[in-house]
Amino acid sequence: MAEAALPNYPTREEVDFVIIGSGAAGGIMAKELATAGHSVVLLEQGPHLTAEDFENDEWAVDHNNEHMWGASKGYPQTFRKSEADDAEERDIVCGYAHNVGGSSMHFSGNFWRFRPIDFMEASVRGTIAGTNFADWPISYEDLEPYYTKVDWEVGVSGLQGPWDPPRSREYPCAPMPIKGPDVLLERAAKALGLNPYPAPVAILSQPHNGRPPCQHCGYCNGFGCEFNAKSSSLVSMIPLALESGNCELRTFSTVYRIETNAEGRATEVLYYDADGNEQGQRTKAVVLCANGAETPRLLFLSESSRFPDGLANSSGMVGKNLMFNGYSTTVGLFNEPVNGWKSIPATRVIHDFYELDPALGFYGGGGIDGRHPTRGTPLGFALSSPLMFGGPSWGSDFKKDLAYRFSHCAAFDGHTTSLPQESNNITLDPNVQDKWGRPAIRCTYMDHQDDIATMRWFYEKSLELMEAAGGTNIGGFYAEDGQEGNVHLLGTCRMGVDPSTSVIDANHRTHDVPNLFLCDGSSLVTSGRGQPTMTIMALAFRAADMINQAAQRNEI
Amino acid sequence: MKPAVSDLAHVSAMFLRGRLNLFIFVTNDQVFGVCVLSKLNPDEARHEALDEASDSDLNRALSRRQFMVGSASLARGSLLVLSMPAILTACREAEQARSSGAEFKNLTPEEGAELAAMAARIIPTDETPGATEAGAIYFMDNVLGDEQRTEVLASLRDGLREMQYQVAVDYSESYFHLLDEVRQDEVLTTIETTPFFNTVRYLTLAGTFTMPQYGGNRDDMGMQLIGMERRMAWAPPFGFYDADYMERGE
Repeated sequence: MAEAALPNYPTREEVDFVIIGSGAAGGIMAKELATAGHSVVLLEQGPHLTAEDFENDEWAVDHNNEHMWGASKGYPQTFRKSEADDAEERDIVCGYAHNVGGSSMHFSGNFWRFRPIDFMEASVRGTIAGTNFADWPISYEDLEPYYTKVDWEVGVSGLQGPWDPPRSREYPCAPMPIKGPDVLLERAAKALGLNPYPAPVAILSQPHNGRPPCQHCGYCNGFGCEFNAKSSSLVSMIPLALESGNCELRTFSTVYRIETNAEGRATEVLYYDADGNEQGQRTKAVVLCANGAETPRLLFLSESSRFPDGLANSSGMVGKNLMFNGYSTTVGLFNEPVNGWKSIPATRVIHDFYELDPALGFYGGGGIDGRHPTRGTPLGFALSSPLMFGGPSWGSDFKKDLAYRFSHCAAFDGHTTSLPQESNNITLDPNVQDKWGRPAIRCTYMDHQDDIATMRWFYEKSLELMEAAGGTNIGGFYAEDGQEGNVHLLGTCRMGVDPSTSVIDANHRTHDVPNLFLCDGSSLVTSGRGQPTMTIMALAFRAADMINQAAQRNEI
Repeated sequence: MKPAVSDLAHVSAMFLRGRLNLFIFVTNDQVFGVCVLSKLNPDEARHEALDEASDSDLNRALSRRQFMVGSASLARGSLLVLSMPAILTACREAEQARSSGAEFKNLTPEEGAELAAMAARIIPTDETPGATEAGAIYFMDNVLGDEQRTEVLASLRDGLREMQYQVAVDYSESYFHLLDEVRQDEVLTTIETTPFFNTVRYLTLAGTFTMPQYGGNRDDMGMQLIGMERRMAWAPPFGFYDADYMERGE
């Protein structure tokens, strides 16, 4: 279809935009800018996989870095808890899928909108000493039309919940059918006087925009959808960008530098092509959508005499304020088959604790949903079953346990806030490099004590729910010593009005480089409650709108 | 940073973190070749999906997908395509080996017998089939041949030698697999916290519960063992509680 019409832009001639990264934000950016008539080169470091390439293959996906490349594929990262420590080489610390569509290809699709409070929480709740907790320069009202665009253009299934923020239009698709773990969660929550409701998800419950509904195969979170029912940018946006005839997608393109000229404007994007040859695409403007770890790394790699601390980093905020979102899980066994391994990750959510009572003495909030403890994966379950529920780890009794537990288990998971701290950050590792010779992403991270207290609160509340649900062999986990990696990579090039404390303005233009725009998880000022992709996508629609308007005014 | 994947606590802690964090545990058992595209029996799954799905949109989407594969996306993913023949060959050989009882490709017969005997105690054959019937040893033989698992194979060989030494001292027997099951369990109990045992356990479970094209989980035997059925499509209700919920009209 669209592929035949793909343009082939010469690298030595300027295109209107180079977009770096084709994920949740980059895919939307490509569609919005290309369909507005701009010439766009979209650079993606991974392959363009489609539904035909995906398989319910736990061994390849979870155990052999099929989509999330790490050290074994030439992309090591390093981790340390504080600047005082030596960073240790790891396979993956900051996790993301390397393919067209980015991590939207394999996400769980939990699409909670942020609420009005998320954008002004520092004013309402008060700033928090030692953190960069701040208001956003935009409000929920500013973003609402773009949340609705995500609902309809990307495809979200759901039902307005009891305290959901106002919406200008209903969901396009009805909620997904409830699953066993969420029946248990909902009944327990109601018994405790709470208000569970259908989880909004970027997975189609009915045909929408020419795509089929979910077939409930069960291999969802972490896997590519074989039916195109998961609303990734891969299936919802990229095809439209390519159909426009204005967007050239270049896969296996690894960007290592953004060049700037004497006037301090971005002029060219340098990358290695699929054959390892150095290429440079000249451009009028650059939109960087590489994710909260890759985006700051590329800005650091693009340092120059004019930008000695990294491109667009006069504030010193590039790479800082990394937020992972907190997490807790509790597990239990039940008398009847729950079969949580079928269908999508989560179908109900409890949002009664979106904001915890300040009287508790710490800041935080989040949501709780019901899931299968290991995303329905049989090997993952077999490996962790004895630790979750007790009992032997090999032999006949182990086998009997597995046979019963895999289908009779449920997990109640907490998804929580993270505070922005300068000490949590992405920098270039001075010692470790990837296969292209780029310094590895070095992550320095220790959850704030309030973040850990919040995780603990959600852990304990989830235990209470699990008991109320009638679970046995109840166990659980939260990162009481702090997390050492995540797939939510937020805040590292934060948005703000003041160029001395933020990297981009409210329209995603960098304060320092007028024709360089950033949009991805790095743009977020605060972390939300643990499901950021909906907001990243809404920001991308809004940023693209602002960029298109600026282009019309000839103000790029 | 080698055998942390065999560290049970590490693996499971990561799983308990849920979400995609579990990928972090993948760390150290270094990766082997990508078999995901091999799809030795893709049509079976497709047809099942088509049979299951009455929705015409779905059928349209599937047929469009077939078309797209034929045209553009193969050329686009050229790096993957280039590696396909080697991958397919390796997978087919593994399939043939397990179905014919052929010799191992990477393990010696003695190593194969020892590891197969260990696997048979980790997931025993009792009232139901176990790792033996699932062909877990052929999975091990297959994945241990990858160059990125050279160190894993070497450490397993060291572990086997140490175990055999202990077997000789304690039971005056040359090989673990020649012991009776009671004695085999005694031996494994004494080593169950070692990286060696946990690596064998990891590979046994992987050979029982992952996709059959890697040589194990014959006929989805491992999945059946835990009440799982690998299908492309399901319809609600999925289990007891949601059926009950629907029935009560909650």
